[in-house]
Amino acid sequence: MIVSELILPLFMIFLTLGLGIYAAAVLDRLLAARQRIPVADSAWRSPLSNAAWLLLQQTNTTEAPDTPAWQLAPALYLSLAAMGLSLVPWSPTLIATDLATGLVLWGSFEALATVVIFLQGWAANAHLALIGAYRYVALGLSYLLISMFVLIGVALPAESLRFIDVVEAQAPLWHVIGQPLGLPLFLVVGLGLTFWGPLNLADSSDLSGGTSSEISGPLRLVWQMARMAMLVAFSAVAATAFLGGWLGPWLPGPVWVLLKTLGVLALLLWLGRSMPRVAPERCVTLMWVVLLPLAFVDLIWAGTLALLMA
Amino acid sequence: MAVSWLRKLAARGPARVFLAQGEHSEGVREYLALSPAVQLVDSPRHASVLLVAGEVPIGWRDDLRRVHDQLPAPFASVWYQSDPFDELISAPRVDTLEALPETLLATHRDLVLQRRGSSPRLLPDVPPNPWQGLGDDGHGGEGMMGGNPYGRPMAMNMQDDRRDGLTLDTLTFRLGPFHPGLPPGMQAETSLQGDLIQTWETQKRPFPESVDLPFHAARERPVSIAELERARARHHLHRLHLGLHLAGWPGLANQVLRLASDLAGQPNIAGLRRQLIRGGFFRLAQPMPGHGRLDDETVHQVGGWMARAAGVGEDARSQDASYRRLGFTPICQAEGDTASRWRQLLDETQQSIDLAHQAERLDLATANTELIETPRGPWGEDAPDDASQILEEVLPGLEWGEAMATLASLELAALETVPGEGALANQERRA
Repeated sequence: MIVSELILPLFMIFLTLGLGIYAAAVLDRLLAARQRIPVADSAWRSPLSNAAWLLLQQTNTTEAPDTPAWQLAPALYLSLAAMGLSLVPWSPTLIATDLATGLVLWGSFEALATVVIFLQGWAANAHLALIGAYRYVALGLSYLLISMFVLIGVALPAESLRFIDVVEAQAPLWHVIGQPLGLPLFLVVGLGLTFWGPLNLADSSDLSGGTSSEISGPLRLVWQMARMAMLVAFSAVAATAFLGGWLGPWLPGPVWVLLKTLGVLALLLWLGRSMPRVAPERCVTLMWVVLLPLAFVDLIWAGTLALLMA
Repeated sequence: MAVSWLRKLAARGPARVFLAQGEHSEGVREYLALSPAVQLVDSPRHASVLLVAGEVPIGWRDDLRRVHDQLPAPFASVWYQSDPFDELISAPRVDTLEALPETLLATHRDLVLQRRGSSPRLLPDVPPNPWQGLGDDGHGGEGMMGGNPYGRPMAMNMQDDRRDGLTLDTLTFRLGPFHPGLPPGMQAETSLQGDLIQTWETQKRPFPESVDLPFHAARERPVSIAELERARARHHLHRLHLGLHLAGWPGLANQVLRLASDLAGQPNIAGLRRQLIRGGFFRLAQPMPGHGRLDDETVHQVGGWMARAAGVGEDARSQDASYRRLGFTPICQAEGDTASRWRQLLDETQQSIDLAHQAERLDLATANTELIETPRGPWGEDAPDDASQILEEVLPGLEWGEAMATLASLELAALETVPGEGALANQERRA
């Protein structure tokens, strides 16, 4: 009992986090190499050499930072990613946190991420980091609303907010097909949550790195790992909510979850390298004027389909 | 043993380099961006090597010392075509661009493997201004407001908001003169409410900008139009690279640099345009329509392609008989905003490449040495002068990212009328 309900689920979380962070970094470098961005080291070794360099570097400080908050923010963001992964069912019985309100808890992690990222930017007591923090908070609400509607859409056919029920409800038809707007909208949420690629407004190049512009050394390494971990956690949640989680022929359920997670992760990383960053004002307009109404449509579609299938 | 293994692993990565550009350092950023040995970073906190490229005038040296001291240990500096400070006499100096990536990488590896000690701090680790705060809470003023703790005003709402009437605390700070988003040498003090620029004051003008040698030669004698137009296309593509880097699109930014380095073939500018449009560079990544627009007065101060982006159809090439023979007519946009300047840049790049091909077939040289069109604007009796003061009119009211994109779409430094060492080095390398 302890093995199946505690040790094994925890092992899956740490395994996915460890391998996932490394896989995300390698995939991103492979994509960079495909775009002929020059890299000194092989894609497989490059994340490790970068980590080793950051471990050897001094953790700098700024003039009068909020040191405890500054040190806490990367660890908190990493913890949110780990807690998000704990909600993902690897099979009908293998899950670390099987809550009747799992979808709501995931939504709260998305909201808490806003607090953590703001903390990271604010604690440095530096202007560009602070602007990155402002930006993230200003845009957070836009995609959190989209996330809420899309997740209600996947809960409707299951008549439950439990992730296991959401997966089982996809046995006849995965939500990626039954709710065609759902996954694309949720991917936008993922890009926002992880401030990646076109929605990287918090740590952007026009802010010299934004919320992380002033950090170096091990703290920066933890921040980079936390961002990758959140990408992995989000991909696993997306695979659960839209790609049928453990459902699939021949292979064991956990392997299907890992493969689907890797697929979503690769898609997010590719999107991140295929587009420029959306300007903040245009981003807000896009979210409220285009994507939020589409999320309503998705919800109505999901509700109608659930009624018809019932 | 473990530490040694970790150090060996760390030494395998590229040199993370923060570039501080001095005078006559054109082309260094673009050259290093294509080198696998080097990774250029936007913050000194993310670097292990500070590269000082070109001479740094006396008035800028304290700013450079401040940048130097922001790098986390272990770090070092490398000086390109410039003498290290007396305190950094052991820092390597390099004079050829080709030797630069290897020197940077070797310096980084020596630091990681502890074959070289970290650079000393040049300034005392104290606040730049003494504490001037009052009050029990150290808030810096009388009562609950006011004062200048550490020489800076408190974040207070002293100005009306320019966007939606929601007044936020004003944040005032200095930026530059080695910030990668500003022209080299430029320093500005800006006030923000949230992420919106309220005021912008240029405190140090950017260093004069050198253009490639064919433009200098064209003022003295007829030169090949093909060579001149390819130099112009290269200059424009380098600017587009900067815009794409700022827009967070490193893959396409590097592709643009590769196009710029091989203009003798058939560079696919149409393909580049398609990628920019499909990726949403103009519609999503650039400021809203009308933002960053130059008015009639500022348009004439900047001149050149930036004025043509605002509908001013003036181009010195129209007055050159050889260009008229090629059927040259200036290309213009109408809007004059930031996005239209990028469109203009792309259109003029294509036009220059087409002109170069035509001129090559006809073996044409320029006919007019009195007045030429440089990428910075017309150069006749007078060369284009510094126009950085227009930013005080153009940037207020823009969101930070819009302001940076607008800055990247403008060339405001004065034109250097004597070819700098950077231009000479670039010419030598290409030859």
